[in-house]
Amino acid sequence: MRPLLLAAGSVPVLAFAMPALAATPAEVVDTYASLAQAAYDDSLSAARDLQSAVESFLSAPSPERLSSARAAWIAARVPYPQTEVFRFGNPVVDDWEGKVNAWPLDEGLIDYVDPSYGGATDENALAALNVIGNPTLTIGGQAVDASEITPALLADTLDQADGVESNVARGYHAVEFLLWGQDLNGHGPGAGDRPWTDYAQGAECTNGNCERRAAYLRAATQLLVDDLDWMTGQWAEGGSARAAVTANPEAGLGAMVKGMGSLSYGELAGERMRLGLMLNDPEEEQDCFSDNTPNSHYYDGLGIQNVYLGRYVRTDGSVVEGPLLRDLVAATDPALDAEITAKLAASVAALGEVKAAAEGGLAYDAMLEAGNAEGERLISAAVDALVDQTHSFERAIGALGLGAIAFEGSDSLDSPDAVFQ
Amino acid sequence: MRLALALTLLATPALAGVEEAVNAWILPGVAAFAESAGTLARSAAGDCTADALRPAYLAAWEAWAPLADIRLGPSEAGALSIAYWPDERGAGARTLRGLIAAEDPAGLDPVAYAEVSAAARGFPALDLLLGDPDLSGYSGGSYACRLVQTVAADLAVQAEALAEGWQAEAQALTTAGAEGNAEYLSPDEAFRAIYTQALSGLEFSADTRLGRPLGEPGTPRPTRAEAWRSGRSLPNVAASVESAVGLARELADGPIPATEAALDQVHHAEAAIDDPSFQDLADPTARLKLEILQQRIRALIDAMEAEVGNPRGLQPGFNSRDGD
Repeated sequence: MRPLLLAAGSVPVLAFAMPALAATPAEVVDTYASLAQAAYDDSLSAARDLQSAVESFLSAPSPERLSSARAAWIAARVPYPQTEVFRFGNPVVDDWEGKVNAWPLDEGLIDYVDPSYGGATDENALAALNVIGNPTLTIGGQAVDASEITPALLADTLDQADGVESNVARGYHAVEFLLWGQDLNGHGPGAGDRPWTDYAQGAECTNGNCERRAAYLRAATQLLVDDLDWMTGQWAEGGSARAAVTANPEAGLGAMVKGMGSLSYGELAGERMRLGLMLNDPEEEQDCFSDNTPNSHYYDGLGIQNVYLGRYVRTDGSVVEGPLLRDLVAATDPALDAEITAKLAASVAALGEVKAAAEGGLAYDAMLEAGNAEGERLISAAVDALVDQTHSFERAIGALGLGAIAFEGSDSLDSPDAVFQ
Repeated sequence: MRLALALTLLATPALAGVEEAVNAWILPGVAAFAESAGTLARSAAGDCTADALRPAYLAAWEAWAPLADIRLGPSEAGALSIAYWPDERGAGARTLRGLIAAEDPAGLDPVAYAEVSAAARGFPALDLLLGDPDLSGYSGGSYACRLVQTVAADLAVQAEALAEGWQAEAQALTTAGAEGNAEYLSPDEAFRAIYTQALSGLEFSADTRLGRPLGEPGTPRPTRAEAWRSGRSLPNVAASVESAVGLARELADGPIPATEAALDQVHHAEAAIDDPSFQDLADPTARLKLEILQQRIRALIDAMEAEVGNPRGLQPGFNSRDGD
């Protein structure tokens, strides 16, 4: 039986009517897996569109085609952030996500950078490696033949080279850097402004190595498509990620709430938003080359809400929905359900205000500037709303009786090394 | 007085451990830190050269270290600008060098300094200014010397604000479940909040304070140790562990023998380490000793979960550092 579906934002009175129709945990985790499958599938389609736009640009570089490729990248950042809520509770996703969304990156690993970027750092000897400019490289004392830039070179040799996390050679943000270039405007207006001629072949080529740059962009885009294709498969019927949450529905519910809370609090509110504000660093924003950060944050927040409301609006406007987590909470604690629903709406609204302000001309990097009171207010309001809803998610763990399950194997309590037993 | 206390305990038995953790552990800690930071600021005002200031600086660290992992209430954001670490992109050093090169007026004004990047404030800034060979050779009266005075004064202001902010947080924690308390709706929520800090502090020590300098086998990263220039890497781990167990003792209903035994094992592992700055990790024996300490802290986490959280049916909640 399909329970009544609640529209987003419906009043708690309806929730009181739900217990008799409450979904079972098995149905709810099934919905969850279907939302994930749809969101990754949309991310994959958008990455394929990006790949087409990139190929079109590389086959005949022009300002218009560069703009089209950038627009395709921005469009790809609508569905993907809505998948991030699936990350923290699911090891299949968490172990993989660095391939597609690693950030921050030392972009000098990939291509030429402005002199103000500096060179190698204490943390990263390869921070200015410049693969595009150097067919022969030395990594960790070993000579590396980079004469051909291939997906395998990026995946197996360059990404995370020397064990340094900011050596990000692949994923959305590597592609973003290749399309936009560095944002050298500091807190001032404007995103990265890489000239289309960085990909022009022959005499028009700017900044050298245009063929190698094209090969890099092509390889990174291909990897992104391949990686998303793999993850979409993991959530399909028979896939490992779907199996992990459906095999034990109680554990699946734990994964759902853990993903909501960890993305909301430690990751989005903490690492991505509050930290940027406290460091006042214009490049401490996730989509720093394109200035698309407010959109990515907004869709992250929407993804959290999606999981609770059991509903995802696909890129084509169709809706995936089913028995929802909300019903389970409402069945045991209607007041808590009302609290969570209201807080989710508030956090999405606060993230929406940041997005709207950016669309109105107040760029995210300007919001981060020391002394920008309006930017600080907007970002702090979103951070507070995200932190606030996390407290309610903790209450949901109690209400659902998931205390013993939610964090099993999820914190960093690695099994003790046998050597020391 | 004694009767009043007994009545309180009778009235809210579930809050007993929370009250003790707050009143016997956290509040005295923040007060002591505020006092140390004040002493540091006054010392800097007197003589800001690196050698003269180091004792007061180390004393302030000693007072801060037990509080470093308590990320509740005013500490949640407050800790970030007191001791921002790890600074993976070197934002602190970059900002400080920029301030010095430009002789930026913000570096001479503690009020304006509150707007400077969190990475260039508090202990990590002093660690560089007092400990980096390129930065610490400044003379009295130089811009760098006055910058040190500013950083110390800003730290003292932050410590005062933290102590003040904790009065309200203490009130919220110790009245959990009371009508009108919107922050903690039940004694269990207050208990879990503190318990989460204890466990996540231990995890942070094992994974990050020890894990970062350990790096991968064959590629140790000693300069990624916390406050290695000040020799605080091991003492900070030790203080974090003592703090976690101190909180656990207050929270628990009775004795926690397995936790105490695990703590003893941690102490032995700490005592075996030769270089408190972890700069000797290229030596396989030194590396092994650090790995042993890491394992024993993880065993301590298991013991604390079994003796403190599980009897109450509570698992740790979300913590502010469980993102990337």
